[in-house]
Amino acid sequence: MKARQRGSQKERKFPSMAIECLVLGAGQQVGKSCVVVSMNGKRIMFDCGMDMAYHDHRRHPDFSRISESGDFDKALTCIVITHFHLDHIGALPYFTEVCGYRGPIYMTYPTKALAPSMLEDYRKVMVERRGEEEQFTSEHIVECMKKVIAVDVKQTVQVDKDLMIRAYYAGHVLGAAMFYTKVGDSAIVYTGDYNMTPDRHLGAAQIDRLQLDLLITESTYATTIRDSKYSREAEFLKAVHKCVLGGGKVLIPTFALGRAQELCILLEDYWERMNLKIPIYFSSGLTMQANMYYKMLISWTSQKVKETYSTRNAFDFKHVLNFDRSMISAPGPCVLFATPGWISGGFSLEVFKQWAPSEMNLITLPGYCAAGTIGHKLMSGKRTKIDLDKDTQLDVRCQIHQLSFSPHTDAKGIMDLVKFLSPKHVILVHGEKPKMATLKGRIYSELGIRCDDPANNETVCIPSTHHVEVKDERAAEGILVEEKSKRAKIVHQDELLLMLGEKKHDIRFAYCFPINTDNLEDTKSTDVSSSSNALSMSGRCSWLPMLYIKLSDELSGGNIQYFGEQIQVESFSVSLCLKDRCPYRIVDSPPNKCEAVFFCCTWSIADEKLAWKIISILENLDYGTC
Amino acid sequence: MDRDLPSSCEQSIRSPSENPAEDSLSPETLASLRSLVITPSTPDTAISSIFQTLTRSLQLSRDPLVLHHTLKLFSDLASHRPSLSSSVSELVRSHALLSSDSTRLAAESLDVLASIAERGGTPVDLDDRSFVSLCFGPSVSVRSWLLRNAERFRIGPHVLLTMFLGFTRDPYPYVRKTALDGLVGLSKPGVVEDLDMIQGCYCRAVELLLDTEDYVRSAAVRAVSAWGLMLVAFNLETKLYWSDNLFVKLCSMGRDMSMEVRVEAFDALGKIEIVSADILLQTLSKRVSGTTKGMGSFGQCPAAEVESSASSVAGVLVHGLEDEFYEVRKSTCHSLRTLTIISAEFSEKALNLLMDVLNDDSMYVRLQALETMLHMATYGLLKVQGTHMHMFLGSLMDGNMSIRSATRKILKLVKLPNIETFKLSVDGIIDNLERHPQDEADIFSVLFHIGRNHGKFGMSIINEVFKEMELASEGKLGFDTARVAALLILAISALLSQGQHACNIPPIIFSYAVTLLGRISVALTDIMNQDALLAYLSQCSRSTRFSAMEFNLREDKPRLPAVTIASSSHSSNEINGTVGSPFQQGEDVAANLQYQAMREPMEVASSHVGYHLEVQDEVIRSMNLIFAKVKDIWPLIQSGFTNEVLRVLRSFKEELATFTSGSLRSVGAVAFALQYLRVVKQLAKVWEHFLPARKLCSGMGELDIALGKLETRLRELKSRFTGLSLEQELQILELLLLTCTLRLSKVESYCQVASLKKLSMTASHVESILKLGSIEPSNFMSEVGKLSYLTRTSSFGAPCDPFLFKELLKYFSLEQFVVFGRIDHIKAELVVPDNDSENHLPFVPRLPVGIPCEITLHNICSENKLWVRMTMDDESTQFVFLDLDLFGSSDEVRKFTYVVPFYRTPCAFSFTLRICIGMECSFEDVPPVKRYGGPDRELTFLCQEKEVHLSMTLGFNSSGRAVESDIRPKDLDQLCMIILNKCMLAKSWS
Repeated sequence: MKARQRGSQKERKFPSMAIECLVLGAGQQVGKSCVVVSMNGKRIMFDCGMDMAYHDHRRHPDFSRISESGDFDKALTCIVITHFHLDHIGALPYFTEVCGYRGPIYMTYPTKALAPSMLEDYRKVMVERRGEEEQFTSEHIVECMKKVIAVDVKQTVQVDKDLMIRAYYAGHVLGAAMFYTKVGDSAIVYTGDYNMTPDRHLGAAQIDRLQLDLLITESTYATTIRDSKYSREAEFLKAVHKCVLGGGKVLIPTFALGRAQELCILLEDYWERMNLKIPIYFSSGLTMQANMYYKMLISWTSQKVKETYSTRNAFDFKHVLNFDRSMISAPGPCVLFATPGWISGGFSLEVFKQWAPSEMNLITLPGYCAAGTIGHKLMSGKRTKIDLDKDTQLDVRCQIHQLSFSPHTDAKGIMDLVKFLSPKHVILVHGEKPKMATLKGRIYSELGIRCDDPANNETVCIPSTHHVEVKDERAAEGILVEEKSKRAKIVHQDELLLMLGEKKHDIRFAYCFPINTDNLEDTKSTDVSSSSNALSMSGRCSWLPMLYIKLSDELSGGNIQYFGEQIQVESFSVSLCLKDRCPYRIVDSPPNKCEAVFFCCTWSIADEKLAWKIISILENLDYGTC
Repeated sequence: MDRDLPSSCEQSIRSPSENPAEDSLSPETLASLRSLVITPSTPDTAISSIFQTLTRSLQLSRDPLVLHHTLKLFSDLASHRPSLSSSVSELVRSHALLSSDSTRLAAESLDVLASIAERGGTPVDLDDRSFVSLCFGPSVSVRSWLLRNAERFRIGPHVLLTMFLGFTRDPYPYVRKTALDGLVGLSKPGVVEDLDMIQGCYCRAVELLLDTEDYVRSAAVRAVSAWGLMLVAFNLETKLYWSDNLFVKLCSMGRDMSMEVRVEAFDALGKIEIVSADILLQTLSKRVSGTTKGMGSFGQCPAAEVESSASSVAGVLVHGLEDEFYEVRKSTCHSLRTLTIISAEFSEKALNLLMDVLNDDSMYVRLQALETMLHMATYGLLKVQGTHMHMFLGSLMDGNMSIRSATRKILKLVKLPNIETFKLSVDGIIDNLERHPQDEADIFSVLFHIGRNHGKFGMSIINEVFKEMELASEGKLGFDTARVAALLILAISALLSQGQHACNIPPIIFSYAVTLLGRISVALTDIMNQDALLAYLSQCSRSTRFSAMEFNLREDKPRLPAVTIASSSHSSNEINGTVGSPFQQGEDVAANLQYQAMREPMEVASSHVGYHLEVQDEVIRSMNLIFAKVKDIWPLIQSGFTNEVLRVLRSFKEELATFTSGSLRSVGAVAFALQYLRVVKQLAKVWEHFLPARKLCSGMGELDIALGKLETRLRELKSRFTGLSLEQELQILELLLLTCTLRLSKVESYCQVASLKKLSMTASHVESILKLGSIEPSNFMSEVGKLSYLTRTSSFGAPCDPFLFKELLKYFSLEQFVVFGRIDHIKAELVVPDNDSENHLPFVPRLPVGIPCEITLHNICSENKLWVRMTMDDESTQFVFLDLDLFGSSDEVRKFTYVVPFYRTPCAFSFTLRICIGMECSFEDVPPVKRYGGPDRELTFLCQEKEVHLSMTLGFNSSGRAVESDIRPKDLDQLCMIILNKCMLAKSWS
């Protein structure tokens, strides 16, 4: 517990309890984010996502690694969910309702509001369309959501006595947050997905400069560096405008939440400015409903939207109309937002089939499309023929514009965040392995920060080394204190007791010794009892002054004080011992010398020499001479 | 006033108790004392007793709260009662509060002393020792207060510097911030001259860039910037090194999470005047450039820091421009102003970004971006390319006026690389004009500048669109369109651009431009005045091969070459601009020169007498243009766009109004044109009643009034102008025919017979004219002729079918009026001297009165029969014939005084006459209702009606007795005149 440091060494490392980071998902891949962090005896699960690419047990994180016995309540302190995307929340109902976790779950208000519909949507697709065995039911989702505790941005939540979490704005999607977690003096940030540049509807990630041991960050675009969004926007608008001017139809496949709103705000602005009258349609009710969510959760949107919403809510789209299926083959130009984003099925596929063969039309593709989807096929080169299924082949003649609007930060943004937070250690998740390796190298070489990119089911142990820097050597005398789960620090010795809340322990030596009084006062009465009484009385009165005089003679210059009952020299004090059995009495009274008087003295270690000197003086006292 | 003292404080003031402990003032008492102190009306006696009470409290009280309030009250006392301030100061000083145990109280008393000192009291001289010891006191707020207020206590800069440096390490962030702010305050030349000290401050500030608190970081950015600039300025040799260093440090804060810090960082970047080119370029790219990686060098950065420096600089301005907060974006745009001067390559790339910023959703940011571009343009750094044009010209369409105006300011200065961009710009400006007509003056001015700066482009455009303009005469192009106006300005300016170019611009364009003279001259007030412009335009339009050069050479004095001066200064700007030296002053001088020289030739030119002849020709030419345009609006009249027509006519009228400064000769033509416009206007109003839609809803009387007005106007047009050719006369007669036809084609019209008669007479008049010359009658004329012949030959006088006449209307169309030769305007001026509503002429009721009139007649020949018409309030009218033989012989102008007799004075104390001069219409053979002594034919009035006020100065009251009144000599004269009149009257009757 205690160490004392003196002298010239400026920095020392003290081994302490490590932070253990078990990556259950999104290790060197994109999908099923799930990281379990153990620090100072607390165990927190960040995100509980599912991998959409798999349809077997691999779609869920391997929960058995958290607890062999399956007693997750004991094994985990809490779960923290960063945002409502399925690769971050998809496995949560399964974990709580099927696996039986009952502990607290934290997420932001918008995430809590939007997650159920996302989960339900997913469940429907899985069960009703694909006919798979369901992982969880609608009731499960409802039950699961009941366990959720919603938090606000920058709200500090004390999960228990030691564990504190706080959400920071992350951009990315509505309600996405990064989570700062602190146990004792160990602190980490788990980012989830985030965006370091603002877009038309969401702001950029925002966090304080914190003292961090570990930063776990996504790295979807670990090597991409994007140019200015202005030029991307201009390109997109130009393409759309050109198409509708030529009488063509524009299909913008998107997912309901996020890009649709951003692109729509962009188009609305442009429509307004250029005074265009061409209709913009939203395909499904879900998207309109999503707009409603955005309107309600205005405080989670970008600065611009927040500033202006009192006069005009940016999500009140003036030009946007609802689309009817019959309009697919209606003549005339239009812009249509349709789900899903990757043209993997649903309405966007239906419209795609109709519109793709015409050269006048335009299809925009999102920045990323999952492998196997039509979007992915269109992206990978100039494909003119697309196989819809075994028998049907579609001749794609329309123009294709690839949008590089992405809600994820690029490599520059990751570097900026790491640099700003300057944690002691970085772990990369949610990315592709080779790119992560590159980024890892950059973080180490440019910023000098150790960085790991563990694979799934690997554990990274961060030795939470404490650095105590001593800058001014003159002040380098102190006591280094390192409490459990707290940062090591140097305190002045006077501060120590105060800090520990302890009383000072003083070691004192005690010695009780007799002084032979044989040759003293022959004239005493013979009545033993009365004389002893008288003796004690008179001795008390007379002997100490006598000793005082003696000592004053012997110890010239010493600070000798006489208090009536005792004599004090520095920490040494001596007094008459009237007890029959004094614990400090080593020599019992000589059997036949009942006249012996006992003196009891105590002193502290500092005055040991002085004490023995005084004792020898007293013992060798020639009382006869008195 | 004393009685107003609250009892508690009265007590505490009046009876100082023996026991000091009991004497401490309660908060309530203190509050009421304060109200007394700040009330100006509190008497001095009360104030002085308050002062004593407070003094006692200060001496005796030990309660820090009471002391605090007491000090506050002393401060109030000193500020509200300046007479007491010195004693307050003394008291506080003597009370040794400075050395008291509580640093807070010490600080408060210092505050009191300092504020007294600032109002002119004795200055506080706090010695360094006490200042330092107070700073090290336990109270954090006192510490930061002292650091903030150190300047008030005249602490030596070196002590301060040490203190500030020390406290940048304070555990309390606000103290750190204050210390940094203090350091910024010390970063003045002359305070710290030692390089190591400057460097020390800089490095300390740099350390704090990594502080955990936002506000400390933003203070640190300020400090880094201030001390960094000191370092940069310290030594020329190390200038670039430190500048690079500072730049990189500031860039590293451009990605801070706090908006305030970012704003500070970008603001600070804008203060840097020199930086290595590769570093600067790196700010525009998020990717670290290959050369940096390959060469391992980055500006003047030490080799070890290349990588980290490059990554902190990378793309920082791009980030700034796309920041979430408009404050940051705006600040970034602003900082680009200075940065673009540093490197031409950088400015070119930055411009690409700035153009994108024009798409920003915040007006402030767009405006700032435009201002930065303007700044670049002034320095000749604005290299606009074709790809920019879409975005750039888009801001001309912006809903915000200041954005549009800022864009136009840039266009005035910008150098366009090729004709395509030039065309795009001109189109953009014209679009702007069409969408926001309120910007017209500024737009014309821009067009003028842009045309002058790009003469060659301008000329080629003009020649292209000239055909388009020519088409205008065939009715395809409305001549009042913004587009044509804009192109005309371009043409004018293009000619001025380069003296040596032979002008290929058709001169007719300049005469077109004359029609817009008023609008153009308003726009170009800063360049030339209207006369000069007119002179210039007419000069240009006179000769087919006219060039500006020629114009210059007309006089010995150098004049227009000024333009060349201007353009040469422009080219030198470009050269200077790349070097990066500011030459604003030179620019201004050039502009002045240009301005001077532009004005001079015009003024000289316009002073030439002979010039006016051409000017007059010009006036007539431009008048013809207006006539042409009037003809173009006939379809509008026909289709019933009356409001539109009236608006256009109004604008023509305004144009005409600008020709008033012309010669006497042109006055007639202008008056004629104005009258013609009035006729067309009335015609348009009448025509409204003949539209199918209006058939049922127009009142009969309304139409009759309108038709009557039209007839009057036409009559004026017909008879008040001399010098009209036969064709012109025919055209007027045609309009008369039209009026008659209109009258006849309405069933409701009464006095059909008269109208019919008038019609046939006019028709025969037309016939006679047609016989005279070889003029082809218009369809309408011949049709009317046929019909009138029919009616005449058949049953004369019988009511005829209005539908026949209505059919005739189809044949009518407005012919273009062409003015050539001289037109004289017959007009008269009539003044009754010394008569207004205050000064009445005297009269005697029932007796005739003479009204002295000063009459001026223009262009009236002896054949004209003139009458003076006098109308009373009751509309009874009297005519007096003006025998022209009596008054001079000159046809052009006759000026004389004539006493007009008015016979039927009413029996009233006063009355008003409306008096006016009319002329008999020679052509109208239809005699009006015959009146005794009146004119035989309809009159055309040659002047405005004048009101003459008369009152009975000398007369008789109802009882027949003379009314006494003072007769002044002037009145006597009048009386004589009356008598004279009477005699004349008797003579004429006899």
